[in-house]
Amino acid sequence: MTTPVPAISIKGLTKDFAITLRGVKLRAVDDLTLTVEQGQVYGLLGPNGSGKSTTIKVILGLLEATAGEVRVFGVPSHRVESRRNVGYLPEAPYFYRYLSGFELVRFYARVCGVPRAHLEARVKEVVDWVGLSKAADRRVGTYSKGMLQRIGLAQALVHDPKLIILDEPTAGVDPVGSAEMCELILKLKHQGKTVLITSHLLAQIEDVCDQVAILDHGKLIVNGGLLELVGQRDRQALIVDPLSAEDIEALKGWLSTRGHALNAIEQPRSRLDQLFLSKISRPGQNGSQGGVGSNVVPEATPATKTPFNQA
Amino acid sequence: MLLTLPSPRALRTGVTLILSLLVAGLSLRPLEAPAWEQVRAKQPALRLESIKDALGQGVTVGLIGGFRAIVADFFWIRTNFVWEQNDLPATQTSIKLVTAIDPRPTYFWLNGSRMIAYDMPNWRIDKAGGYDRVPESVKRRFDLEQSKVAMNYLNEAFGFHPADPLIRLEIANIYLNRLKDTESAAQNYKIAAQHPDAPYYAARIYAELLRKMNRNTEAYAYLKTLYPTLPKDNLQAMSQVVLGRISELEDELAIPVEQRFRPE
Amino acid sequence: MTADSVPFSFSRLSLIASNTFLEAVRQKLFNFLLLLAIGLVASAQFFREFNFGSSELKFIADFGFGALVFFGSALTITTTAQLFFSEIENRTALTLLAKPIWRSEFVFGKFLGVFAVIGVFCALTIGLMMALLWHREGQLMQINPESFEAGRILQYGDLFMVGVLQWLKFGVLSAIVLLIASFSNTNLYTVVTGFFALVICHLQYLARDSWGNVDSIILRTLVRGLGYIFPNFQLFNLGDEIGVGAGIDPAVFGRITLYAVIYIFVFGGLAVYSFRKREI
Repeated sequence: MTTPVPAISIKGLTKDFAITLRGVKLRAVDDLTLTVEQGQVYGLLGPNGSGKSTTIKVILGLLEATAGEVRVFGVPSHRVESRRNVGYLPEAPYFYRYLSGFELVRFYARVCGVPRAHLEARVKEVVDWVGLSKAADRRVGTYSKGMLQRIGLAQALVHDPKLIILDEPTAGVDPVGSAEMCELILKLKHQGKTVLITSHLLAQIEDVCDQVAILDHGKLIVNGGLLELVGQRDRQALIVDPLSAEDIEALKGWLSTRGHALNAIEQPRSRLDQLFLSKISRPGQNGSQGGVGSNVVPEATPATKTPFNQA
Repeated sequence: MLLTLPSPRALRTGVTLILSLLVAGLSLRPLEAPAWEQVRAKQPALRLESIKDALGQGVTVGLIGGFRAIVADFFWIRTNFVWEQNDLPATQTSIKLVTAIDPRPTYFWLNGSRMIAYDMPNWRIDKAGGYDRVPESVKRRFDLEQSKVAMNYLNEAFGFHPADPLIRLEIANIYLNRLKDTESAAQNYKIAAQHPDAPYYAARIYAELLRKMNRNTEAYAYLKTLYPTLPKDNLQAMSQVVLGRISELEDELAIPVEQRFRPE
Repeated sequence: MTADSVPFSFSRLSLIASNTFLEAVRQKLFNFLLLLAIGLVASAQFFREFNFGSSELKFIADFGFGALVFFGSALTITTTAQLFFSEIENRTALTLLAKPIWRSEFVFGKFLGVFAVIGVFCALTIGLMMALLWHREGQLMQINPESFEAGRILQYGDLFMVGVLQWLKFGVLSAIVLLIASFSNTNLYTVVTGFFALVICHLQYLARDSWGNVDSIILRTLVRGLGYIFPNFQLFNLGDEIGVGAGIDPAVFGRITLYAVIYIFVFGGLAVYSFRKREI
């Protein structure tokens, strides 16, 4: 059985921008090597100016690498055919304001070669999928930020690409929109798609990504699976009902007889975005837990606070 | 301000562009040249030296940029404005400027000559005191002078319209109407009538002028050769009028009935 | 894994062209065209005041062609620059070029869209002018029948041919502006340089006629070179012939048409060459 070709293979990528004054160059990406396997959700992180967007543009053939090699499903990224199976949602997307949502997605579908026989059905399908059916006849110029993100996702998906690149997909979007975007990304993952995301919102990256890389000043600082990078393998968290002081002491004693220590006792807490989502009414949700005025709080997740006992 | 040098790639691209355009221009010259010769031949030489002082820089650029016709049109409209004000120097200058810019339309030559020959003598008479006060000899002198200017102007037009019958007719009209020289007018009408594109009236007027000079025999002979050439279904040709004049002349000349003209 | 190749597609090219055309139309460009057409109608009435007789037709034709050339040139340069730079500045080019699309499809698609817009402008202007002339000539034939002994003076087929030639000239101009836009950083620079190129192309014939009169060898070579580098826009100046009643030689029309089409491909191809490595 042959190993599947990586969705993205970057080897020794370097990109310099010429600042013509006295020949000084700006090195935006410096000897970057990483691989995105098929079916992964891959997070590309880094502060502003770290080289994330430059890397994405080289992957998409919008920029030419100064050195190194970038391949998409085995095809060099500067070739037109490398983009056949790629969908791209740019940061702060701007589309043709004078087109309606349907017209916009239809336009990009035709550019990407969606067969005419399936065109209308496919356009309707992706517009429904991103939840914009009711607004798709309006001009894109009237859309809100969140709607622009969603129609952007629709145009990125209309030709059923195997690789989807999302550049800051939740930038400027409210928590509801961000949550919906995360749900969509997870859906894509379940469909077997490969997704490359860049984002500043680390909590969202944490929720959806399998693998992350961190860039700084064009260099790769960290690269690996999410659990490996942030999980504390030498600890476990158990969530129990509230214990009395005596029970806690008894538990400490029991653990010490087995050579373990009780490192911390904390009040579990859910995330603020989860509370927000549980309280506000979201379009399309009927009878789900939470909602306006509800006292129900979603399941808490283990916190990562300062340990109670460092000893 | 710091100088920025283009990158080597930009220089390469620039050189490639220029060389490609040079090659394209050289390759297309055989295709373009015959067409350009024909287009050029229809555009008379621009006598820029004689007119550029009268024009602004912008208009001069417009002229050499290929907008001669419309520039001439605008100056003709200006001519009409100064003509309405009876401004003789400005009108005369403007008329000559228009044909210097674009000598191709016959319209400018004809109407310009009419302004010179017919209107300007009256303006001069008005300026000299009016019809009642200016002596006949002075009026006659004005007519002669302006007619001479108009004739010279029309002779210049022959340089661009060598055989145009309308210009010849205009000269004929000046002889007839301003200079009262029937003989010279008749000669010019005859020359004009010989042109295939001449209006039908040119020949008729020539014959009438011969009659006016009591040269009825010549007029009769001329009309007899003219009539068969006239289209019978063309109102402008007035073949019936010509036939009527032949008949009148036959009566005046007492031509015997059996010798009279019979149209086929 | 090998990906299927993506050949050059006229379908994609026409998609870009129709989208460009749509953008121009929805920018209320046609309102401008309509105002211009109304202006032409109004100005034609002006010439009746002067009693030019049958020559009034020459004035209408000259004025109409002058307006076509002047406004058409301005429209071509600004529209080409605007429709190209709107993609760059609004970053819609980013989304589009991230698709499996050749840069040549993008550039030629843009050109075709603009060419179609200018074609509509030329058709509207020439059509209106022909209608005006036809109507006025009919009236003058009633008023001055002796001036129309041989029937109608104007050759309407030739009028149409001159309109086509002007459209082709604007096509060459649009391709030149696209070439400039392919390496320019701003809309303003493109427009200004485009106007310079327009003037040079109109005066190119002076360079080719007068290079022999230049003393300095270097300058003489430069002037001669200019005569080859820039296309000759004077070649398209046949509108004057209509005004003086002369006709258009079909052979000349054919040569000029071919000349224009070849130059469109030359400048368009160079624009693609310049744009191919442009960083978006």
